Amino acid sequence: MKERLEKLLEEALGDLEKSPDRSGLLEIKTRYLGRKGALTLFFKELGRLSPEDRRSAGEAINSVKARIEEEMERRLDILDEGHRQERLKKETIDITLPGRRTRPGRIHPVTRVLDEVEGIFLAFGFTIAEGPEVELDYYNFEALNIPRDHPARDMQDTFYVTEDVLLRTHTSPVQIRVMEKQKPPVRIIAPGTVYRRDSDITHTPMFHQVEGFMVDRGVTLSDLKGVLTLFLRRLFGEETPIRFRPSFFPFTEPSAEVDIGCVICGANDPRCRVCKGTGWLEVLGSGMIHPEVFRAVGYDPGEYSGFAFGLGIERITMLKYGIDDIRLFFENDLRFLEQF
Amino acid sequence: MKKGFLRLLPKTFSYFPVGGYEVGNSQKSLERGSGGRPFYRKVFPREKMLYSYNWLKEYIEDLPPPREFAEALTMTGTEVESVADLSSEIKGVVVAEILSVEPHPNADKLTVCSVRTDRETYGIVCGAANMKSGDRVALALDGAVLPGGIKLKKAKIRGVTSQGMMCSEVELGLAESSEGIMILSRDAPLGADITEALGLKDFIMDIGVTPNRADILSIRGLAREAAAVTGKGLREKEFKVAESDRAARDIIKVAIEADAPCRRYAARVVEGLIVGPSPDHIKTRLESHGLRPVNNVVDITNYVLLELGHPLHAFDLDKVHERSVRVRLAEEGEGLETIDNRTRTLRKGMLVIADPKAPLAVAGVMGGKSTEVTEETRNILIESAWFEPTSIRKTSRALSLSSDSSYRFERGADIENVARALDMAASMMADIAGGSPARGIVDVYPKKFEPLEIRFRIKRAEELLGVGLEESRVVEAFGSLGITAGPVEDGEMTVRVPSFRVDLKEEADLVEEVARLYGYENIPTTLPEASLSPGRPTALTEIRKKISGALVGSGFSEVVNYSFVSRDAYLLAGGQDPGGVVIVNPLTEEQVVMRCSLMPSLLENLRKNLLKKTGEVRVFEVAPVFLPFPGERLPREDWRVTGLMYGHRWDPSWNLPSEPLDYYDIKGVVETLLEAIGIIGGLGTMPVGDEQKKIFHPGKSASCTLGGKPLGVFGEIHPDLSKHFDLKGPAYLFELSIEPLIEAWRVVRRFKRPPRFPSSERDVAFVVNVDIPYGEIINSIELLDTKLIEKVDLFDVYYGSGIPEGKRSLALRITYRSPERTLKQAEVDRIHSRVTDELTSKFGAVLRGQAHTV
Repeated sequence: MKERLEKLLEEALGDLEKSPDRSGLLEIKTRYLGRKGALTLFFKELGRLSPEDRRSAGEAINSVKARIEEEMERRLDILDEGHRQERLKKETIDITLPGRRTRPGRIHPVTRVLDEVEGIFLAFGFTIAEGPEVELDYYNFEALNIPRDHPARDMQDTFYVTEDVLLRTHTSPVQIRVMEKQKPPVRIIAPGTVYRRDSDITHTPMFHQVEGFMVDRGVTLSDLKGVLTLFLRRLFGEETPIRFRPSFFPFTEPSAEVDIGCVICGANDPRCRVCKGTGWLEVLGSGMIHPEVFRAVGYDPGEYSGFAFGLGIERITMLKYGIDDIRLFFENDLRFLEQF
Repeated sequence: MKKGFLRLLPKTFSYFPVGGYEVGNSQKSLERGSGGRPFYRKVFPREKMLYSYNWLKEYIEDLPPPREFAEALTMTGTEVESVADLSSEIKGVVVAEILSVEPHPNADKLTVCSVRTDRETYGIVCGAANMKSGDRVALALDGAVLPGGIKLKKAKIRGVTSQGMMCSEVELGLAESSEGIMILSRDAPLGADITEALGLKDFIMDIGVTPNRADILSIRGLAREAAAVTGKGLREKEFKVAESDRAARDIIKVAIEADAPCRRYAARVVEGLIVGPSPDHIKTRLESHGLRPVNNVVDITNYVLLELGHPLHAFDLDKVHERSVRVRLAEEGEGLETIDNRTRTLRKGMLVIADPKAPLAVAGVMGGKSTEVTEETRNILIESAWFEPTSIRKTSRALSLSSDSSYRFERGADIENVARALDMAASMMADIAGGSPARGIVDVYPKKFEPLEIRFRIKRAEELLGVGLEESRVVEAFGSLGITAGPVEDGEMTVRVPSFRVDLKEEADLVEEVARLYGYENIPTTLPEASLSPGRPTALTEIRKKISGALVGSGFSEVVNYSFVSRDAYLLAGGQDPGGVVIVNPLTEEQVVMRCSLMPSLLENLRKNLLKKTGEVRVFEVAPVFLPFPGERLPREDWRVTGLMYGHRWDPSWNLPSEPLDYYDIKGVVETLLEAIGIIGGLGTMPVGDEQKKIFHPGKSASCTLGGKPLGVFGEIHPDLSKHFDLKGPAYLFELSIEPLIEAWRVVRRFKRPPRFPSSERDVAFVVNVDIPYGEIINSIELLDTKLIEKVDLFDVYYGSGIPEGKRSLALRITYRSPERTLKQAEVDRIHSRVTDELTSKFGAVLRGQAHTV
């Protein structure tokens, strides 16, 4: 019996090995382990054996059965795995085809830079303020120490709505509006749209500025240098060279213009079109707030001092992205806008 | 609707004409070299002024080299924008004399000239007609280089070889326009290099002068500043006038009327002069400073203007009645023909120079035709005066007439410079025009100049600058600027401001003078001490960011448009005519009125982008519109967010059906936007009002409200407008006011516990008349039981086969839920049957079948 069992096992294992698919395996299972299967027949022989032999024979048959079942499982697994693999293979798609996407829009480059500038000053503890774009002559000029018939008015070509209502030519009127309502200390930035009657390749009749100012006891020109240096290095990089030059604005005294090292040529090209070979780019105007301005808003210029500054956002944006024509900002060509 | 109503009409309004007091041009109009306008806009733009380096050297011998000097000026507040080397661009051009001028054998308009230098004679073909034999000219020979890098070669012109070219002022880079070739003086040395002969071995510095520094609008003024900032010595010139025996006061009479805004009027007389062209070196200097030479008398007054900064005017004395001039205010309506050949009607209060019969000149602005210096003029009166800046400015503005002279008077001339200017002019008239200056100056100067005294506290300066100052250095700085500082007591001093520094009015101005000579680079960099407080954005800046983020996520790109539009664009958006916030001095017809809506701008953006073959457009803008505010001087600025979409729901792609957009896409954008910024629910819709009917399809657009308050509009563009723009498909727009969004967004939302009990859903499909709005049906259902009906969702809308004409099928899923318990089947059935009853009885719906899920 033992030899027959071994032969059977060998046959069964051979069959299992040869069987190509699941149904073949099931057929083999029936053939050996089924009710009339070859192995089942051995069990039927057991009755004819002595109790001692029966026990060992039973164990032998069971072990062969287990062995066949085990092998069967193994084969099934192998066949299933192959099948699964095949299925996965069939399901494979071209992963290089483009995805199904919704195209996101873009934020206008000027807004991006405005946001960045606001972010830096918010972190410095400056609060944002707003003012009207259609403004009174008083706030735009008079209170800023630019009386009527002052030649400085020539410097800013103004759009008028009536004799004393105009499109603000700078964001500086917000200074006056804030200081009229608020006592020092104040730390404000005022981003916004401004207008000048001027239009060519380097000038658009509308553009954007950020005005900033700080008033308290004991604010100095050296503080102005400190805050603006910190700001410009955040914006243009920590290594940016910066210089302050005396200048003139009617509403500051002393006044300073601020230059950064040319970001286009790295102050290295005597023929640089942007810095004209000087190596420096003017980026903002600033100064200590003029006593006349303090008087206009009822601050005591003997007690308080403060600095103010203004920068053109288009200019900063042009420098940051190397854009050479300011009009591109207002043409709203999607081929331009989608680059940002 | 007019065709092309949103197109650009580049019609520019005329700018103020620019005239000269003496000559019809202005330094301001000239820009030399390749510099052109600056690449960017300054916070405050400047007037550009040109200065000859060699001329400055006449006042400071050991001036530092041009670029070093430019740096020193820039760092002390006088910004040098460029330094141009005049001679570097011209090579191989020499002085030559024309021997003969013959007609060209093959061309009517050309001549063949024989021209000689000191060595050789050349044959030159020339297209100009203003020369004759004996004239001296600038001859560019084979191999010569002209400004702009132009290289000259021998050439055959219509069969005749030309061995060079006779140059015009334009070709030499001396002027912007010229008629014919440049004719040099008879005494120009033959064969000399033209850069030597014309004094072109020079550098021209282009300086942006700030409007406070009237004192540096001249060579001498800049030299004075240069001496202070470089520490070099200033060498003043002395002008000796070879006077005749005839006393000027016996020849002319001068008076200032009591109410005339003129503090000094001085005059000299020069007799017997011969008017003719100026010598080359004078012409070149004028040209290189942007002034056009006229004749020797006029040129001399301009030369003095450039060197000393004081405007002069020369009258033909023989045309002045009774040889008597008065400075007086004009009568209303008085007429005067100015030298630019225009008749001016004067207004009462304008300052004029008049003889006993009529006005001769608009004081400080422009001279009159009747007394203009001409070739016949023999005797002149030279005026040197000081007029009140505001008077000059008002007159100049009222007449729309600006000149080099008015420019300087407006900014404040130096009243103590009046006599020097007269002396310089008279001595030059004697030298160059052969005139004989009469003895003395007739000087009406009733109230002598008294310097302004300002108290200066060193401690205050230190407080403002954040730096310690030494007394002696402060006094020294003032001294170098010509400011007299009194003795220092307790850190205070009294400072006397010289006549030329009209800009120094108070202590802060003096602090700046000290600071700029101290050097801004020497002032420390510190951070202010301030109490700690967080920076706060405004509600507008905050919500704007959220709105932009949401719209960018929906595929919209941000645009920025001008706030002013054409009248047509304004009317298109429902603006009132007349009305709106109107610009009285617009640049173009496209920018005449402030927007009352952002929609026309976005439509224009769409039109332009479609021209560029972009088929898919989604753009948005956040900006204010300007609405007149009755009773207020300023309009109301209402911030809006406006979006436009055009094309397909998805970018055309290989794996998505390319479906065109429809009304529900733009509505979905608005709904998504509100949710994305945190506003849930409350959006109501109704048909658009009349003012929107030009823009929107009346049946596919809606006015919307938020919590019952007006919010905005959205919908499909009107088919007429679509046709007008040649759109292939409809565009969709929305415009919302931001204020109601801010209000709704500020509402603090309370937490609601997620439901603990299960819901039951019932579906109902029914056929109903198409003209019954869905919104009405759903409102009515929701009101049936506000407690147990949790929500109603629409999941199908169907027209067509099986549904009668004029009807549509709607399918709703209604969710029932109680917050307190699990609803029983029977309860749900009961409410649901009330719903179906409502549908049939109120809306005449025919039920199509029901299904339910638990």
